[in-house]
Parts: sequence; structure tokens; C-alpha cells
Amino acid sequence: MPELTRYGFRDAISGFFEFPTENAKRILPAHLEPAELHHGSSIFSMTAFDFTQSMVGPYGEVVMSVIVSPLVKPGERLPKAAFYPYLVGTTTKAARDHAIERWHLPHWMEDVAIGFAREGTQVTANVAVGGAPVADLTISDYSWSPVAHLYQSFMKDGDRAYLAKILMEGGQSEHEEETGHLQLYDHPFNKDLVLSEVSEIPFRELWMRDGMQTFDPLIQLETA
Amino acid sequence: MEAANKKPAGKTTFSDYDYSNFYYGAGDDPLNLLRPFKEWYEEALPNGYYLYSEPVYSAPGTRIRVKNKKTGEVQDLLNLASYNYLGISYRDEVKKAAIEATEKYGLGASGSPILSGTFDVHTQLAEAIASFKDKEAAILFPTGYSANVGFISSLMRAGDTIFCDQYSHASIVDGAILAKSKTVFFRHNNPMDLERKLNRVRGKKLVVVEGVYSMDGDVCVLPEIVEVAKRHGARILIDEAHSTFLFGPNGRGVAEHFGLDDQVDFHLGTFSKSLGGQGGFVCGTQELVDYVNAFGRSRFFSCNLAPPLTAGLLAGLRIVEEEPQLRARLWSNVAYLRRRFAEEGIDIGKSTSQVMPVLVHNDAKVFAIAEKVQDRGLFLQPVTYPAVPKHKSRLRISVSAAHSEAELETAVGVIAGVLREEGICRS
Repeated sequence: MPELTRYGFRDAISGFFEFPTENAKRILPAHLEPAELHHGSSIFSMTAFDFTQSMVGPYGEVVMSVIVSPLVKPGERLPKAAFYPYLVGTTTKAARDHAIERWHLPHWMEDVAIGFAREGTQVTANVAVGGAPVADLTISDYSWSPVAHLYQSFMKDGDRAYLAKILMEGGQSEHEEETGHLQLYDHPFNKDLVLSEVSEIPFRELWMRDGMQTFDPLIQLETA
Repeated sequence: MEAANKKPAGKTTFSDYDYSNFYYGAGDDPLNLLRPFKEWYEEALPNGYYLYSEPVYSAPGTRIRVKNKKTGEVQDLLNLASYNYLGISYRDEVKKAAIEATEKYGLGASGSPILSGTFDVHTQLAEAIASFKDKEAAILFPTGYSANVGFISSLMRAGDTIFCDQYSHASIVDGAILAKSKTVFFRHNNPMDLERKLNRVRGKKLVVVEGVYSMDGDVCVLPEIVEVAKRHGARILIDEAHSTFLFGPNGRGVAEHFGLDDQVDFHLGTFSKSLGGQGGFVCGTQELVDYVNAFGRSRFFSCNLAPPLTAGLLAGLRIVEEEPQLRARLWSNVAYLRRRFAEEGIDIGKSTSQVMPVLVHNDAKVFAIAEKVQDRGLFLQPVTYPAVPKHKSRLRISVSAAHSEAELETAVGVIAGVLREEGICRS
């Protein structure tokens, strides 16, 4: 039986933002294609997790991703979406070492500070490194329903490419009310983005809470 | 069991997916998405998607005969779904002109407009629409879609920049793709965001807006858009698909309504909305028309408009010119429906036109609501994600000058009743 890896979380908040496809293509490895919202306009996503249970204890994580075309194979369940995390920040070294070893995820190699602040229907994730702000993401809730959605995450490590199937279960609120906000700061953490060309308002806001993230074993792809 | 395959292998669930999930799919075979789509669609159809493309058995008048794809029954319904904003397409004068043209020319043009497919009726229609729009010349396209695709790509090139409203019609976006220009989307009806984006760009710039936006029925804030575009040296194209023949003192469109006819560089419209026919056009100078005639690929690589249709459009245009009371009647109907919806607590968003979205704000309920509405005698389609943003699902109403007040009141009663039952609007 394949070994599954589970991460329980209190909050997982995501904002999805338009940014130029030229920028997306500079970030992506050659075997991945960005999914476009409009012609010439791809999707940058920032997700902040507040993990409460994992093999390496509780920790916080921020994932900067580009939404890409999923890999579809006959007979396999269709994923809701696929993403390429190009930079991950964690609040602990143990979480970082674990994710690098197990998932080949590219990491910011210092601890990041991630604060979650709830106010009314909104939640804000403040991300900082060594006291310097990196990003502030605010989203709001809409209506909640339980979901079990399958996603794909692509990774590239040296000349090897990987795919992880991830099941996200929990309460979910998702909307396109354009009420959220993203402030990206001029910091090396954000060097892959042309900050002035990333929309500050998410076209979609997704909030999951009291959920479980379950990874299937990593798959090595032949496309490297 | 693997976590990712808790559901049966390959099996999709209707409520977990929508059309957007079946567009992108990497892999080795372009057919890989067909099976998952088929499985989803088979579940989606009985859950409300059957309401799309139901066959119509009559003219698209205020009453319409429609085959219910779920029951197979042909129903007589009150129609608030067809464009035909002036109720012209089935008028006797229009039908007579089309029949006479059929007798004279037969069915089709049998040729490209730049080769053998331009008939006297095409020339007459182009001259008539140019005159109606008070422009020097006009050029016809087979459809409104073709007009945007062909016009934009005839004028713009790689290295140029096209600025589109985020809610632009697909034909505008596809025109930009065919032009190979850089496409920049500004926030809907937001001149400040347009300005922010124009600031960064040098070279040839085209700003494209719509007179009336087709999903929300709101009117372009044209004065502010024109001011910003002019200041940045950008040309302006207005797509008046849903506003030509309706807005402005002479019915020329939203540009005339704002007194900006001469400030807008390119005027595009369709014959499929207010006239209930088919075809598109662009109006401007003769030199513009000559250039587009030479480089508008969607036009000259298509067969020209069928002569009977063209003759019918000419007759329809004459009615528009001779019966301005039709516009007055339409706006009276719009005002009546807006007032009644407000009284009933029904949300139509920012619509100020004959296109009215009855906002349901609940993607999970919109199909059930649409089904109930049809079962109670109204022909209306649901519109949901990804055609509109998530949770902005709606029933899209097209008001016509041909509707009677009694018909509109019947529609209000049905819609309000269903929305109350579903907890969407107050009792």
C-alpha cells in the first residue's frame, strides 16, 4: 500500500492573481505550460498554511505558485487544478528539511514568519523574513461547504521533474468578489515576479479551514 | 487505497467540476479530456445543463415554442431569452423582403465578399448602415464575432498593445490573439486602471470597450474612457453589439448617447441583436473601410452574408429609421421591469439597459431555479461560472419592445415567486 503523507491545517488561504504570461513562462520549467485566465494573462497564486499536525510538528508555510496545465491520463481522476510551486517558505527548519527531502520543493532557506490575523469575515496572512515584510495577503469568506478536491503539484529539482497528487479536504469558501488584496514587497523573496505587473486584487479567493492535506507518493516524470 | 483516487478511477462528480476544468490538460493524447468531460457532462445534463440549446420551434417572438430536452415536450413559453430587442426579425416587411430576395438570388452568396460574393443588397446594406451611423462608410462581416476578430486583427500587429475590459466579449479577445498583439486587460469599466496600464506602454495602442456589456447589462463609462485613452494617444474601438439601434437620440449607440460619436475612432455593431438577424459591421472613414476590406481575414475568407438575410436586414433597418417609437417602447419596458424588480427585491446588479441579469448569487441553486422558471412558463437561460465569476450566476433577461406590460408582469411574478421559494430574495 502506498505511503500517504498527511498534514492537518487550521487555515489555508489562497489568493489568485493575474500576471503576465511572459513572467509565468520565465518561472516555469520547459515542460510546463501556464494556464491563462485571459490571453496573455496567467495566474500567480499565494497560499499560506497554518499547519497544526504533521510529521514535523506544527508550522507555517507560504507557497508561491504558478497555475499550470494538469497532467491528464486515461482512467485517472481529473484534478481540479495543477500548480507549480516555485518558492516555499516555512517557519521551521524541520519543515523545510522535510519538504525538500520528500517533495523536492524549492525553499527560501531561512525561517519565515507567518502571522494570521482574522477580522470579521477577513483573514490576513503577513509574511516576513528577518523582520522585513515579504507579502501581506488578505482574503474574505463567502459561504462554506465541505470539499475533497484533488490537485496536482509539479516540482523540478535539478534535471529531475516530479508530480505529487494532493487531496485537499475540509471546509472551503471560494469566491470571485474581488474583495481581497495582496501587497508584495520589494524583497529578494519576490525576485521572480515583476511586482508592478502582478494584480493587487485577487480574481479568486479560496479559504479552507480545519482541513487535511494528503499527498500521494511522489511520481518522477519522464519529461525532465 | 491511494488518497487521490478515493473516488472511482476516472470518475468525475458533477458538482466538483465545471467547464473550466476540462480546458487544460497536458499529456500525450489530445483526446484525454474527452472521457472525463463526457462523464461529467452526462451528469451535468439532467442537473440543468439540458436547459442550454433547447430546440426552438417558432419565431423568437415574445411567445416561443421550445422543446424541453428533459421531457421531450414542446412547450409554449413566454420568451425573455432572445435578443430581438426591437421585435423586428419576424415583422411582415422583413419576411417579405427576405422571401423576395430568396426568389431573386436563391439561398446564399456563393462567394467571398472580395471575389464573387458581393451583391447589390450587400452594397445597399453597407451604405444604409453607414448613413444610419452618420459615417462615411461601412464594411459588413458574416457575424458580430467575425467583425471583432477581423477588424482588430486587420489593424493591430505583433508589438502593438490592445487594452481590453476584463469582461470583453470573446470575439474581442480572439481578435487580439489573432493580431498577435500584447493584450492588457483593465478592470471592468475602470478608467483609473486603464490609465495605470496605459502609462507603461509605448507604441501603437488600441482601447476596446463595449457600449453595453452583454452579461451585466451595464453601460460603458465612455466619457472617462475616451478622456484617458486620448490623453495616452490610444485609438478607441467601441463594440455596440447590444447598443446600436437602441441608445442615443437617433439610435446610433452609446457613443451617440454620450455625444462622443466623433471622439471614438472605430464603431462596430451587429445585426443579430436589435434587428434579430445576423451579421456584423464596422463604420468609419472610406480609407479605413478600404484597408479593412484588404486585411480583414475573417471576412474575406468567409462567404458573404446570404442575400435573403441581407435584404431582410435592409428592411429591418428601414423599420428602425421609420419607427423611433420602437426605441421608446423598449425603454418604457426596461423602466417598467427595473421598477418592478426593485419592488420585488430582485437584484439586477448594475444593469441600466435592456440586458438584465437576475442575480442568484448561488452557483449551486441556479440550475434548479432556471428549471422551475421554465416549468412555470418562462424561457430564460441560466448563466454560471465560467461565463461569469463564481457566485455571480444569474438568469439573463433580454427585454424587447415587443413585450407587453402584461407579459413583463407575468415574468416578474414567476421570477419573484421562484426566487422567494429558493430564499434568494425577500418575501
